[in-house]
Amino acid sequence: MASGQQTIAPERVITPDSDEETKRDRPWLVIVHNDPINLMSYVTWVFQKLFNYPREKARKLMLQVHNEGRAVVSSGPREKAEADCYRLHAHGLWATLTKSD
Amino acid sequence: MPEFRPISGGGVRLLLDADEARVLRGLAEELRSVLQGAGPADDPVVERLFPAAYEDPFEEEAYRDMVAGDLEQEKIAGLDAVAAALGDDRDADVALGSDDVTSWLATLTDLRLALGTRLGVDEERMGAEVDPSSADAAAMTVLHWLGWVQEGIIHALQGT
Repeated sequence: MASGQQTIAPERVITPDSDEETKRDRPWLVIVHNDPINLMSYVTWVFQKLFNYPREKARKLMLQVHNEGRAVVSSGPREKAEADCYRLHAHGLWATLTKSD
Repeated sequence: MPEFRPISGGGVRLLLDADEARVLRGLAEELRSVLQGAGPADDPVVERLFPAAYEDPFEEEAYRDMVAGDLEQEKIAGLDAVAAALGDDRDADVALGSDDVTSWLATLTDLRLALGTRLGVDEERMGAEVDPSSADAAAMTVLHWLGWVQEGIIHALQGT
């Protein structure tokens, strides 16, 4: 290989954070909404079972759903958030996905 | 009256009398036919069991294309498992391992959501005593009974 030849290394183009880029990096939030039919004991059990949350944390989240109408129960990249949402739907909870602010 | 006994390995043994088993099986078969498209396209029961994940209609459509088939299959398999475990005109004695128990609790939830959605219940009505003179009294009693079975299983699992 010839030596001394100057190569032009690709330079990383650094641009200021655009809104779009920041938005892309923000995690997705999995939100569970209150509903009149699901039992408090069951909702607590689902949070323990699906997310391995300790009983106290699961119960606290359940109460937040019950009292405030909704709670963020998990967050992460889109694929993980979608998988969590799927499992919540499979267990009959009313879950939605939203991008964090 | 149903009985719930913890079994080793995180399961529960569920005992139902013949009438209870028949009601539960009937509900499972009924919901199965609803999920298989027997009802109207905008059936509120189907909307409740398959809620939208995304507010954005395009994102929702993409998500639904990806998962709706699996979710429906999972729910139907759960209904089939419940129906298969309960015979006709005989008491039921069902040993549920830890995976079975998860599926049963999810299926009992789907049955409660379907019934509660049909009845249009709200929190106030769920918390009130059933009015025996109302037209919905029998269905409300079944809805509460399903919840009672569900809580019995959960308490047996948690040893409370």
